[in-house]
Amino acid sequence: MRGRGRTAFIISFLAPAVLFYAAFVLWPLVQAFQFSTYRWRGLSARMTPVGTDNYRQLWEDQAFATALKNNLLLLVEAGVVIIALALMVAHVVRGKGPVQKFLRSIYLFPQVVSMVVVAVMWQFIFNPQGLLNAGLRAAGLDALTRTWLGESAWALPSVAVAFVWYAVGFYIMLFAAGLEGIPQEVNEAAELDGSKGWHRFWHITWHLLWSVKRVAVTYLVINVMNTFALVYLMTRGGPDRRSEVMLTYLYEQAFVNSNFGYATALAVGNFVVVMGLSLLILFLFRRNPVEARA
Amino acid sequence: MNKTLLLATALAVGLIAGCGGPSSSGATASEAPTGEGELKGDLEVMAFEGGYGIDMFQKAATEFQELHPDLKISVSGNPRVWEQIRPRMVAGNPPDLMFPGWGMDHWALVAEDQLLPLDAALDTKVGDGTWRDTFDPNMLKLCQKDGKTYMLPYYIMVYGWWYDPAVFQKNGWTPPTTFSELLVLGDKMKAAGVAPMAFQGQYPYYMIEGMFFPWAQGVGGIQAIVDAQNLKPGAWNSPAFLKAAQMIDELNKKGFFLAGSTGMSHTESQTQFLNGKAAMVPCGSWIESEMKEVMPPGASVQYMPVPFSEGSGDPTALLIGVEPWMVPVAAKNPNAAVALYKHMTSLEKAKEFVRTKGTLMTIKGSDEVELPRVLQKPAETVRNAKVVYANLVRQWYPEMWKEFEGGITSMLNGEITPQQFVDRCEAAAEKARQNKDLVKYEMSL
Repeated sequence: MRGRGRTAFIISFLAPAVLFYAAFVLWPLVQAFQFSTYRWRGLSARMTPVGTDNYRQLWEDQAFATALKNNLLLLVEAGVVIIALALMVAHVVRGKGPVQKFLRSIYLFPQVVSMVVVAVMWQFIFNPQGLLNAGLRAAGLDALTRTWLGESAWALPSVAVAFVWYAVGFYIMLFAAGLEGIPQEVNEAAELDGSKGWHRFWHITWHLLWSVKRVAVTYLVINVMNTFALVYLMTRGGPDRRSEVMLTYLYEQAFVNSNFGYATALAVGNFVVVMGLSLLILFLFRRNPVEARA
Repeated sequence: MNKTLLLATALAVGLIAGCGGPSSSGATASEAPTGEGELKGDLEVMAFEGGYGIDMFQKAATEFQELHPDLKISVSGNPRVWEQIRPRMVAGNPPDLMFPGWGMDHWALVAEDQLLPLDAALDTKVGDGTWRDTFDPNMLKLCQKDGKTYMLPYYIMVYGWWYDPAVFQKNGWTPPTTFSELLVLGDKMKAAGVAPMAFQGQYPYYMIEGMFFPWAQGVGGIQAIVDAQNLKPGAWNSPAFLKAAQMIDELNKKGFFLAGSTGMSHTESQTQFLNGKAAMVPCGSWIESEMKEVMPPGASVQYMPVPFSEGSGDPTALLIGVEPWMVPVAAKNPNAAVALYKHMTSLEKAKEFVRTKGTLMTIKGSDEVELPRVLQKPAETVRNAKVVYANLVRQWYPEMWKEFEGGITSMLNGEITPQQFVDRCEAAAEKARQNKDLVKYEMSL
C-alpha cells in the first residue's frame, strides 16, 4: 500500500511537467520531421509532399555548408577564448577584496542586456567611423583600421568578439562555482606538497573542474549553434555569406524565400548537428578522471 | 533540447493551427468583386505602418464608414504587419484588404493562388472612364501576371541619388548628369576631402538599384533590363551589365566610395552622408522621412536622377518601385474591400496623401498639388521619363537575388572582377532557369 501511494504521489508531481513536455517539445519535434518532407511556402495551407527532396537539396546546398562551417569556426574561435577568459576571471574574482567584489557584481552584466542592444552596441564599436577605429587612429595605428563588419576576413571574428563579450559572464559564473566546489582539503594538501601557480592549476584544478567543463562545453555548443540575433543584426550574414550561420540562413529560407518546408529541413539539420556534437562531448567527457583514479 | 528546431516547429505549427484542413482556404473561387452594389458587414484592413503611418488609411476608413453606415471597418497595422498576416493566410482567415509591406513575399502569394484578380473591379466605371484609367498604366503593369492584376499600386518610390544642395552650392558643384561628369566632379570632391559617395553595404540592393540597373539600361537600353529580368540566357552577363559592373568597379578603384561602406547598414551610411562625410548616396524617395530624426541642423536632401551611362539607352528611363495593396482569395468581404480601396485611390484622396505624407502616388494627376520641395525633382523626373521600370527579380527570384547581392559585395571588396561578378549573376540566373519548381514571371514594356 505504502509503495503504491508513493508511486501515485510521484506520478501526480511528474505528470504536469511530462504532459507539457510532450505537448510542447516532443510533439512539435515529431511534426518538424513531418513538415520537412513537404514543399510548403508558409503562405497558404497548400503542402506538397516531396519525400526526401529537401534533405537531398540540403546535402548539396553550398550556402548551408558555408553556414555550418562558420558556426563551427565561431565555436572554435569564441569557445577557446571564452573558456580561457572565464577560467582566468573566475580565479581572479575569488578573493574578498573590493576589486574582486566589484568584478563579481559586473561580470554577468552583459547577460542581462538584450541581445539586440548588444548587437547595436558592437555595431557602433565596429563601425568604420566607430570607436575601435577611432581608438586605433588615436593610438597612431592607422594601418590597423578596418571595415570590421564589411571585410571577408574580419566579419566573423568581429561577431565572435561580440559573442565572447556577451556570453563570457555565464561561463565565469560556472567556473567560479566549480572552483568553490573543489574540496578545501585538496587545496590544502596541494599547498603542503608545494604545488602552486600553474602547477597546481594544471595538475589539480583543471582535472577537478571536469563536470563544470562538460557542462560549459555542452552549453557552448548549443549557444553557438543557435546564434541568430547577433549575426542577423550585426552583419546580416554578410559580406557575401562570410558570416552566415545556420539560423540566419534558415530565417532567409523561411521568411525571405518562403521555403518553409526546406527551412524546417534546415532546422532538422541543425538539430542533428547539435545532437551529434553534444553526444561527442558526452563521449569525450565520459569518465570523471578523478573518480577513475580513485 | 534544441531550441531552434522547436522554434521552427512552433512557427510551423502556429501557421497550421486553426486551419481546418489543407483545402480549407482558397478552395472556393469567390465571385470577382467589383466594389459596387450594397456594402455591409465587417471589413478588416491590415496595413504596413512604415514612415507614412496608417493614420491616413484610418481617416479614409472613417469617412467611408460614414458614407456606408452598414459597414463596420477596422484598420490595424504595425511596422512588421506581414508577420501577423502570414499565419492568417495559412489559417485561411486573412483580412479583407491588406497592405502587407516590404516583408511580404507578394509574388509567392500569387503563385499560391491566394490573391483575387481585381480586373473586374478595375473595369468598372469611375468618372468618365474606368477605375483602371485612373492609375498610371506602367505602375499597374508591375502588379500583373499573365494579364491579370493581382495587386494594386498605391504610392511610388522613386530611386535615384541624393545630395545636400547647400553643400553643393558652397563648393560650387552641380549634380552630374552623366558618368563622365561624375568622374570629373568626383575628383573635385575628393580634393575637397569629401568621399563622392556612400552606399548601404549591408543592403546591396541600394547599389544594384541605384547604379547597376540604371547603368546597364543606359548602356544597352531598356531591352537589356527586360531580357535580364525575363531570364533570357546570357542577359545577365551581356555587355550592358558587364559595362555597368565595370563602371562601379572603376568608381571603387578610384576611391570614390566612402571607406568602410561595405560594412554599413542603410542608416549608418545615410547618416555619414548627412554628416557631410560623403557628397551623394543612392536611395529611394523615402529617404527624408526615414532620416528626419537624425538630420543635422541645416542639412537637407535633394534628388538627382542617376547620372546617365552614355550608351544607347534612354537617359530619361527611371527605376521606380511600388508597394501594392491586395485582396486575399479568402477575404470574407472582398466587395467592400475593393470599394474602400477605390475610395482611397480617388484623385481627391490621392492628392491629400501626397500633400500630407510627401510621397508621389500612382494615381494620375495626384501630383498636381503644391509638392513638398523634396518631391519636386522626383515628380519632374517621373513626368519626363519615357520609360519607367522596376526591379522585379528581387521579389520574383529571391535566391537568385541573394547571389547578385553577394557578388556585388565581393566585387566591391576587390575579391572578384566585374566579369566574374556578372558571370556569377548569369550562373544564378541559369540555376533559376533550370529550377522546374520555381514559378517564372515575365516583364513586358
